[in-house]
Amino acid sequence: MLPRNSLWVPRKAPFAVTRREFLYLTGAAALVAACGNGSDATTTTAAGSSTSVAPVAGGPETSFVEPREQLSGELKILLWSHFVPAHDAWFDPFVEEWGEMVGVDVTVDHIAVADVPAAIASEIQSGQPEHDLLQYIAVLSQHEPSVVDMTDVVTEAESRYGEMLELTRRSSFNPNTEKYYAFAPAWAPDPGNYRQSLWDGVGLPEGPSTYDDLLQGGSEIFASEGVQLGIGMSQEIDSNMALRGLMWSFGAGIQDENENVIINSDATIAAIEYMNELFAGAMTPEVFAWNAASNNQGINAGELSYILNSISAYRTAQDEGLEVADDILFTPALEGPETALVASHVMYNWIVPDAPDVNVAAAQEFLLHYAENLAPVAWNSKLYDFPAFPERVPDLAGWVDEDPFGSNPPDKLSVLNTALDWATNIGHPGPANPAIGQIFGESIIPVMFAEAAQGNKTPEEALTDAETQINAIFDDWRGRGLVGSG
Amino acid sequence: MTTTTATKQRYLGDNPRFLAGLFMSPAVLYIIALVGFPFVLAIIYAFTDISTGNPELEFVGWATFRRVLADPVFREALWNTFLFAVIANVMVVVLATALAEILVRDFKGKWLVRFLVLLPWVAPVSLATITWLWTLDSIFSPIDWVLRQLGLITENMYWLGQPGTAMTSVIAVQTWRIVPLAAVIVMAGLIAIPSDITDAVAVDGAGFWRRMFQVTIPLLAPIIAVAVLFGLILTISDMSVVYVLTRGGPTNSTQVLSTWAFIKGIEGGALAQGAAVALFLLPVLIAITAIVLRLARRREVM
Repeated sequence: MLPRNSLWVPRKAPFAVTRREFLYLTGAAALVAACGNGSDATTTTAAGSSTSVAPVAGGPETSFVEPREQLSGELKILLWSHFVPAHDAWFDPFVEEWGEMVGVDVTVDHIAVADVPAAIASEIQSGQPEHDLLQYIAVLSQHEPSVVDMTDVVTEAESRYGEMLELTRRSSFNPNTEKYYAFAPAWAPDPGNYRQSLWDGVGLPEGPSTYDDLLQGGSEIFASEGVQLGIGMSQEIDSNMALRGLMWSFGAGIQDENENVIINSDATIAAIEYMNELFAGAMTPEVFAWNAASNNQGINAGELSYILNSISAYRTAQDEGLEVADDILFTPALEGPETALVASHVMYNWIVPDAPDVNVAAAQEFLLHYAENLAPVAWNSKLYDFPAFPERVPDLAGWVDEDPFGSNPPDKLSVLNTALDWATNIGHPGPANPAIGQIFGESIIPVMFAEAAQGNKTPEEALTDAETQINAIFDDWRGRGLVGSG
Repeated sequence: MTTTTATKQRYLGDNPRFLAGLFMSPAVLYIIALVGFPFVLAIIYAFTDISTGNPELEFVGWATFRRVLADPVFREALWNTFLFAVIANVMVVVLATALAEILVRDFKGKWLVRFLVLLPWVAPVSLATITWLWTLDSIFSPIDWVLRQLGLITENMYWLGQPGTAMTSVIAVQTWRIVPLAAVIVMAGLIAIPSDITDAVAVDGAGFWRRMFQVTIPLLAPIIAVAVLFGLILTISDMSVVYVLTRGGPTNSTQVLSTWAFIKGIEGGALAQGAAVALFLLPVLIAITAIVLRLARRREVM
């Protein structure tokens, strides 16, 4: 019906725009777009807000050890934007200073934590990575075939600074290939964060210490104060961490120490049933929609009575002068029917791509320099980062017992001094192998808990679905020789 | 010799075919480099067992596709993709047609209204979706606040925390994003309807609905088909809205093929399976494109 050229707009048609109008429109659109994009000069905090920050004052001096060999060329580093922005304000000049001392041109790129896995995957896949040294806070074992063996760095670091923690070793070492695919010089504990005023009201001024306490006290607070607690069941990093801790404490797990899948157990069913009860009594559906910043935002807004998180939410509350900061206290891992364990909140895995033109020597020497300076690392992260070589930070226990960053009361972080008793690696009691990494990345565990909590599936059905997926993933990676055969 | 060259250059510069090729070549190169090459790579990957950490290509035939098909999340994502694309595009067509009808009329402030209508399309998708993420927040949602003030709800809706409301939310945001493009396409079609037809209809005394359903929409059908085609492709191939709002949750209830391909291939490390998931709808998309374009052309030449 319409002639072929009928789509041409007649010059005087109602929709016709003049060149000037067109320029106004596109200019305004560009302005809108530009307003949304320019944030280069800021740092994103865990709470999702953007702010400019200065490094922390005081603290231990950085120290310098001559590299084992003459260095040259460029070193490009990619890492996350730290949840405690003061860390990055210190880190960048720290790297630059080292580069000047050893004759290496250094570039540091920080990106949002959610963007790191894709960035690392694309750099490794390209075979010509843009960066010589890449860091992420969760499992990187899937990259093992394409990264440099870091055994030399670990051996050197251990000879200088004492034995590395088992926790970080299992996060960076594949016992089947006997390769350190990453160097993990630091980690972060994941204590319970609770609002003392609320828990005091239910007779638990020191917060919950068992999962029973959490259920009873949390339900009572929710019923009386309308404030829920927050253990995420969403497809994001914190939910993944928290639910693994719950499983371990109930005697369940994804794999055993020999990397056999053991998820199908009565203990897993018990953990799922517990979570159903906890959700029904003390939580709302918001925990199914969370992202990594949601629990931070919730507790700082006074909307949550308990979360499982690092100290970053508290530090944000402190930095922003929120009243709730003084009300947030910390508990160790909650005692379950079997034990009390949580996953380390983050594990700092540094990898060096095995590709031409990568400055391996400079990358490895920088990591040794970083390990040498784990005391400034801990200080400038405001005690967020803990060392994998504890001998390097002899004052840590003292700082934690009397927080130099103005906590009220000053000893509120002291529970972190026991963190090694209740923290473990992703994949516990086995290593953080690629199957564990994929299960983590696909959020199979949070989905399993959420399916049952929402009533879509019985605990047994949710477990069966998860087990099917987990078995397929283990079989796949086992076939590649990166996961043990039991 | 010099004269011959100068003549040849003048001839080339005047040759429309040469100029057409010259001017089109950047676009062709762009498409080959940024669409064609990754596309071919994805097909190759899907028949291998490549992972993010191991770029070596070992061909495994259809094994990757079999593995993908056995995955219950994939089947859920496939159904969600269908639901997401169909509902969003039905809404897009209805809203875009209504919007176009309004925007072709003369009224005060039309320029501003047109600008505002176009805004969702010109704003970067991630930025716009993050705004919706805040708007639909479980605790701080302004929509919930308004509904509470009006006495319509007593507790928050948890838009992104429950499967039903989460799917509704991602469909609504995707519709909001695509409606401006579809509206502009339909507006172009409306303007192109010869005025003698609309005048004749008016003289015959046809009312608004009769004119709409018996004259305007039949005339607009080829244009609407183009809008639907764009909408379907943008909905099925884009992962931004779902990824930013829900990451496929809760319980994979909003998981679509594009997000699952990314999560499986990049975050999970199973690059071959991610490629297979991404390619799964390719034959369907090609078929839809062919059918829609064929229908549009038939209506056009009638």
